[in-house]
Amino acid sequence: MHELFEHTADLGLRATAPTLPLLFAEMAKCLLSAMVEEPDGVRPAQNVQLELTGSDREFLLFDWLKELLLRFETDHMLFAAFDVIVTADGLTATATGEPYNPERHTLAHEVKAITYHELKVAEHDGGWLAEVIVDI
Amino acid sequence: MAKEGYTGPLENIGCCCHRIPKSYKPGMRVPGHIYATDKLLESIRKDQAADQVANVATLPGIQVASIAMPDIHWGYGFCIGGVCATDPDEGGVISPGGVGYDINCGVRLVKTNLFLDDVKHHIKELVKALFYTIPSGAGRTGKYKFDTTETRRLMGEGPKFVIARGLGVARDLDHTEANGLIDGGDPHQVSDHAVKRGAEQCGTLGSGNHFLEVQVVDSVFDAEVAKAFGLELNQICVMIHSGSRGLGYQVCDDALATFRNCPQKYGFELPDRQLACAPADSPEGRKYIAQMRAAANYGFCNRQLLMHQAREVFAQVFGRSWDDLGMEQLYDVAHNIAKFEEHTVEGKKKKVWVHRKGATRAFPAGHPEVPEAFRAVGQPVIIPGDMGRASWVLVGSQGAMEKTFGTTCHGAGRAMSRTAALKDGVGRKIERELEHKGVIAMASSRNGLAEEQPKAYKNVDDVVEAVHEADLSRRVARMRPLGVIKG
Repeated sequence: MHELFEHTADLGLRATAPTLPLLFAEMAKCLLSAMVEEPDGVRPAQNVQLELTGSDREFLLFDWLKELLLRFETDHMLFAAFDVIVTADGLTATATGEPYNPERHTLAHEVKAITYHELKVAEHDGGWLAEVIVDI
Repeated sequence: MAKEGYTGPLENIGCCCHRIPKSYKPGMRVPGHIYATDKLLESIRKDQAADQVANVATLPGIQVASIAMPDIHWGYGFCIGGVCATDPDEGGVISPGGVGYDINCGVRLVKTNLFLDDVKHHIKELVKALFYTIPSGAGRTGKYKFDTTETRRLMGEGPKFVIARGLGVARDLDHTEANGLIDGGDPHQVSDHAVKRGAEQCGTLGSGNHFLEVQVVDSVFDAEVAKAFGLELNQICVMIHSGSRGLGYQVCDDALATFRNCPQKYGFELPDRQLACAPADSPEGRKYIAQMRAAANYGFCNRQLLMHQAREVFAQVFGRSWDDLGMEQLYDVAHNIAKFEEHTVEGKKKKVWVHRKGATRAFPAGHPEVPEAFRAVGQPVIIPGDMGRASWVLVGSQGAMEKTFGTTCHGAGRAMSRTAALKDGVGRKIERELEHKGVIAMASSRNGLAEEQPKAYKNVDDVVEAVHEADLSRRVARMRPLGVIKG
């Protein structure tokens, strides 16, 4: 489950999930929902393999979202589905999506960057919760 | 869920200045100074921006006070509307968060010799032509393409590089902060990712609060300065608000990653990770400074190309060359930047790193960095407001040198979150509402107009009143919007 929450000038992303890998996938979907108006319209046409290192969970989440944003900015890729494995020293993931197509995708916000401000990854109600503020 | 408001101390110390004492929070090295009228203070207390002012006061080497302008609002790490000066000789830091992601986000004002009567029957056609010519909105690329080498030249040479290709004239540079080229930038230290992001975005407006507006001067407050600036009642101007696009965001991102371990390495603590910083005189600090300056030069290029496209549209709509239409640049100011400047601190002249995050340089008459044409009156300061009410031209004043490291406000400042503004816009036709007020607005995103609606901002007139009363800059002219294009 994910949602956008209020922040004066920017936007907050929040997600909950039963496991840490699912939490990372859910936050990635939350990011997509801030970027495009109809996230369900993004087709699973291409797979991209990603690998990140880092043992701090919060920084790892930051790097994960940052990497997805960078792939959009440089390769124009929008990702809608994620298969994530989180290990003690990083993550590997398959992100599935398609290149941005202005005829089918309406962009909602230009997410400038992921920020460290109030970045949170915590155990919550027997599962996991994450929050991050993105710069709009 | 929005956080609760600020309940800490704000002591009125006169001249619209309110102090957060050093005792408010452990680790504060200096007090916080927030400039605001009582009316604005009410809205400032509604979020955590004042707490962020206190957090900035903990940064190593900070001088005098952690300062905030009346358009202050809650940001990430630093508040928006914040000013922080650090002395490198006292271990002063440089902080990418104190500049912001959008390095050299700023405003350019272009004058014309047209008056309201010349434009009022063409405004729809003009706005439409601007909207379809100037790329705006998320994901849009520009008509100007630069390869990797050329993108690095944009950063190394500033607008001079595009002017040499006929996209402007040399005198545009004279009317740009730092003449459009901040010394010490090193494009070769900017990452390939940043260059890639910037290569296809120069000359694009972007989204969020960025805009291009056709405005009319509706009041003149200081006839002498207005005359020196070449502004008069009912004159038409074009205001451009944009920054360094993805290139700047990436430079900030790269530096934040590099700075992660700096607190531990250099032995200081931070109350918020987004305040990430490094001593200005450290390898990490020096590298960021070289990259940030290069990105700032790209930002000047972006506004140069936006202006050039606006000039071309005006020429096409009015059937006269832009030169003939008197489309001269009044000035271009950066409001997200850190500059190494000389200031007098406790009676002693020293060079400090002045971080302006959502704050504008406002140098007074006689300052050597004010362009010669304006040196007798002071630096033009351009303050964008919201798209329904007004924007302003102010002039720098001595008070800013004494109180705020030569700095004034940068805009209206948000009063509502984006999500709240969006909810508020449900079922309304914001374009229609604006048209009733005499403003033609076009936006590329459905939600953009709702998020940026006038109500989402403080009244810029109130913000300007506060900086005028505090003598951080003085009123010259007020403009109201006639046509707006948004991302």
